This record gives sequence, structure tokens and C-alpha cells, in this order.
Amino acid sequence: MSAVIAARRRHGWRRYVNGLSLATLLTALFILLPLYWLLISSFKTPVNVGSSPPQYFPNPLSTANYTQAFVHYGFGTYFRNSVIVTVVATALVLVLGTLAGYGLGRLPMRGKSSVLLVLLMISVFPEIAVVSPLYLLMRDLGWLDSYQALIVPYTAFNLPFAIWILRNYLLGIPKEMEETGRLDGASPLRTLWSIILPQALPGLFTAAVFTFTACWTEFLMALTFNSSNNYRTIPVGIALFGSPNVVPYGTIFAASAVAVIPIGVLVFIFRKSVVSGLTSGAVKG
Amino acid sequence: MSASVTLERPPGAPAAIVGRPDAHRRGLARLGWGFTLPALIFVGLVTIFPIVFSIVMSLSNVGLSASGFALNGFTLHNYDELIHAGVWRYALGFTVGYTVITVMVELILGTAIALVLQRLTRGRGLMMALLLLPWSMITVISAELWGYIYEGTYGVLQAISGAIGLGRPVFLGTANGAIVSMMVADIWKTTPFVAIIVLAGLVMLPEDVYEAAEVDGASGWSTFWRITFPLLRPTLALAVLFRILQAFGLFDLPFVLTGGGPGTATTSLAVLGYKVMFEDLEFGPGAAVATSTALLVLIGCMAFLRVFRAQAGSEEAA
Repeated sequence: MSAVIAARRRHGWRRYVNGLSLATLLTALFILLPLYWLLISSFKTPVNVGSSPPQYFPNPLSTANYTQAFVHYGFGTYFRNSVIVTVVATALVLVLGTLAGYGLGRLPMRGKSSVLLVLLMISVFPEIAVVSPLYLLMRDLGWLDSYQALIVPYTAFNLPFAIWILRNYLLGIPKEMEETGRLDGASPLRTLWSIILPQALPGLFTAAVFTFTACWTEFLMALTFNSSNNYRTIPVGIALFGSPNVVPYGTIFAASAVAVIPIGVLVFIFRKSVVSGLTSGAVKG
Repeated sequence: MSASVTLERPPGAPAAIVGRPDAHRRGLARLGWGFTLPALIFVGLVTIFPIVFSIVMSLSNVGLSASGFALNGFTLHNYDELIHAGVWRYALGFTVGYTVITVMVELILGTAIALVLQRLTRGRGLMMALLLLPWSMITVISAELWGYIYEGTYGVLQAISGAIGLGRPVFLGTANGAIVSMMVADIWKTTPFVAIIVLAGLVMLPEDVYEAAEVDGASGWSTFWRITFPLLRPTLALAVLFRILQAFGLFDLPFVLTGGGPGTATTSLAVLGYKVMFEDLEFGPGAAVATSTALLVLIGCMAFLRVFRAQAGSEEAA
């Protein structure tokens, strides 16, 4: 045993330069290099964005692309639309998802495993299968180019996963908690709100981060339902920058940097929740 | 799963054993449905209704005019047309081939990355946060970014391949070039997702089997294939199925990066469906493309559930 351990201990420079550290570095570069390219290209002058050979560091540094994105292309409107749609849909998912997750996780209902299986199947359904009937429906309702045209389908498509996540967390809370509430004479909703929910906070964070990310990045429905300039979200706005023949990469990357930052910060803060969501989504089913 | 089972009283068991009157249980069940129904109605109206409508539309003659659309009678014409259209057959083959290759590469790379991160004693949290960056990125943005990297005159890959003496390769201009380039962009964005799932699976493996292997003097390679891989198989299977289901709906990346071209080289089923419906305004045939895609996903789903059930069963037995 001791021989095995001794062989593993490395000395001198080999403590830092070994297969493990090289592989880690390679992984980090694989992820970071394209992101580095996006960020520095956004700070090149619009002319230097198309220079050949390319500049590996912007010289001179310029914020012209940012001005172009916000002033000329009205990126501020797209950003505002994305925030409104994403925040409202996430809030709706959390409220409806918590109630349903509580019912399916902790209350004695017949047939709840069938309900959960149907939800699981809906959560992996391809968007393309529903986008045309939804488009026709929204057209008849006069909903095309409106916030609800995205808020309603985003809420519906993210609810199944959120219900699964919340149900898994709520299942893990001791059964005696409800008794406490009932002995105090609290209503079921009151018990859920003040006794059960505080214990399920990690699950709420996970559901929130996943829904937020999904809404923030969604493209197909946003493109189909809300293509007018006033209601475009960030992905649609960025995809439709410029003309068919000219792709204004500088502007695109300036807008992209602004779009990536909120989600990057959110994911960094809640990285534990995200990882637990990914794993309970995949490992527990 | 097992915890939910214990909540439910076996049908024959007398209420006295549970110690609660039946009325109270019925009240709780009603409360449960009351809590669950708002979400179910919401999901049902917005997802299940369109799915059914899409199936009906794919089996109808759809007339579209300024005043609205009309379903003029039952027909199999849309599917007949689909099966005989070269472009649909190509899109099907492309989507299947693309899915198989990217998911395989992502699985191998993702597992390799997870094995590296598992051995890290310092900086694992930071690396995890790094892995989440491509995952959380808007696909449209990553498509634009790779479009810039692949660009034919001033793209950075042109400069690099020129510097190392490879000349001027064509990335997005040829069919094969575009397919491979798109796969690389996809692998960059989704490998981290696989890595995180596999890492979570690795962390949960029992440690004592590794110690036994180390005492036996097994090499790293044989430890992986004989111990890690078999224990990890359920995790890997689920990660793969999850990815297959996602990859089958491939839309954002080809739509922005290649527009489905050159020609129809990177036209996936979803891109084809979108173009038939919203560019050609052929809602009947478009619904047939969409419904057949959904049907294929449903078949994938059944496979997913089989694995899921098998795993849930083994968890309950454990």
C-alpha cells in the first residue's frame, strides 16, 4: 500500500507539469479560446474586425461596436424584451411548478406516476412539432408580436422539467413537517409557503436557473412568433443583424458580450444548483 | 421514486393501520389535484393541443388564405409526398448521421474531461463553472462566433492554417466542410454538458472498488474498462439519450451558421420543417415533416423510458 502512495507523490517541477495539469489546461483552453475571440473581437474597431491577418489583441481598443449595437441596431429594445419575457415566464414556472411539484411529491394522488411520465415525454418533445399549430393559434388570437406570445409557450415548455426537479426536492423533506403545520392550524397553502418551501430553496434555485437559461436562449419560437422589431428577443435580434450579404460581426459580438454576461453571472453564482439540476435531470431521470 | 410509493397505502390495507380516516386522505388527494391541475392545464393547452392539431393538419388538405386557413378533408398526400421527396430523405439521413457522430464524439470527449476533473484536488469548482459557460450560451451567438472563426477570407482559422503551411482550406463553402465545421461547433457547446453529467456519475461511484483495484495493481486503462465503465453505464446511457433527443431537434445552429447550406447539405429535419412551413407556407407538408420528426423522437423517448424504468427499478431494489 505505502509503495503505491509513494509512487504517486511527485517532486519538484513534476508536481505542476504532469499529464493531469496539461489535460486540465487543454480543457480550459478548448472552452476559453472561442470565448476570448468573441470578447476581444467586440472591442476591435469595425474595420479591424475584418482585418486579415486578424488582430489577436484589439489595437486600438474601441467601443464603436457597442455604440453601433445599441444606437444603430436598437439592441436595448431586444435586451428589454428578453428580460420581460424571461422574468415573467420564470416566475410563472416557479409558482405553478411548486404547487404541482408539491401535489405530485407529497400528497396521495392516484395516477401521479402516469402524470410524471407524460410530463417527462413533453419535456423532450421537439419544438418544431408544435411551432406551426401554435403560430396559427396565435395568429387567430391576435397574439403574434406580443409578450404573451412567448411567455405562455415558454412557461408551458419549461414547467415539466421544473415540476420534476421540485418534486424530487420536495420528496426529500421529512413527512413530519406537514404535521407541524396542521397542529398549528395553518392552511395547506400556508404550510407549503412557510414550512415546506424554505427547505426546498435549492430546488427552487435549480428550477429558476434552468428556466431562465432556456427562455433566454430560445430561438425558434421567438423567430416565428415575434419577428417584428419591437418584440424581438436577443437571439432573434442578433440573428437578424445586418443584411443577407453583410454580417456585422463586430456589432454581433458587442451585443453577444452584453447578452452572455447576465446569464454567465447567474450560472456562476448558482453553479451548484445548475450541476445538481443537470444530474438529477439525467441521473435520477 | 421509492419514497412516493410509501406514501400510497396498498388498496387492501385497512385505514386503521395508517391511523388516518379515509375522508382525510380523500381531502389530501383533492388538494393534490387542486395544486397540480393549474400546471397540467397550462401544459396541456400549450403542448398537447398543438401536437394533436399538428397530426390532424398533416393528414389534411390545408388551404391557406388571407382570411385564415381551412382543413379540406382527410388525405395521406402530405406523407406520400414526404417519403418521395429527396430533400426529406436527405434531411432524415443527415439528422441521424449528425446525431450519431456528434453524440459519440461528445461522449468520448466528455468522459475524458470528467475523468480529468475527477482527479483534480484543486480548482475543480472553477473548472465546473467554466464548463457551464458554453452550456448556458445562446446557440445563435455560438453559431455567429464559429461563423466568424470559419470565415473564408479573414477568419482566424484561415490565418492559423496559413501560418502552419496548410494553405487556405474551405470550411463552410463545401458540403463536407460545412458538415464537419458545424459538428465541431456543436461539440464545443455540448461536450461540457456531457462532462458534467458523467462527472456527477463518477463522484457517486463507491470508492472501495478503486482501492481494491489499486491493491491488485490494475493499470488505469483496465481499471476504467473493468470497473468504472460498467458502473457508469446507466449514467452514460441516460446522458446519451438526453443528447440524442436534443440533437434530433437541431435547428438554431444550422439556421444561423449555414442556413442549411451549401445547397441542402446541412438541412436538418427541423430546418426543413421550418422552411416548408414558414418560407414556402406549405402547412400540410410542413406538419408532416414536424409530425414525423416528433414520431421519431417519441420512439427515442420510449427507449429513454425503458432505461429510466430499469434504473428506477434497480434503485428501489438497492
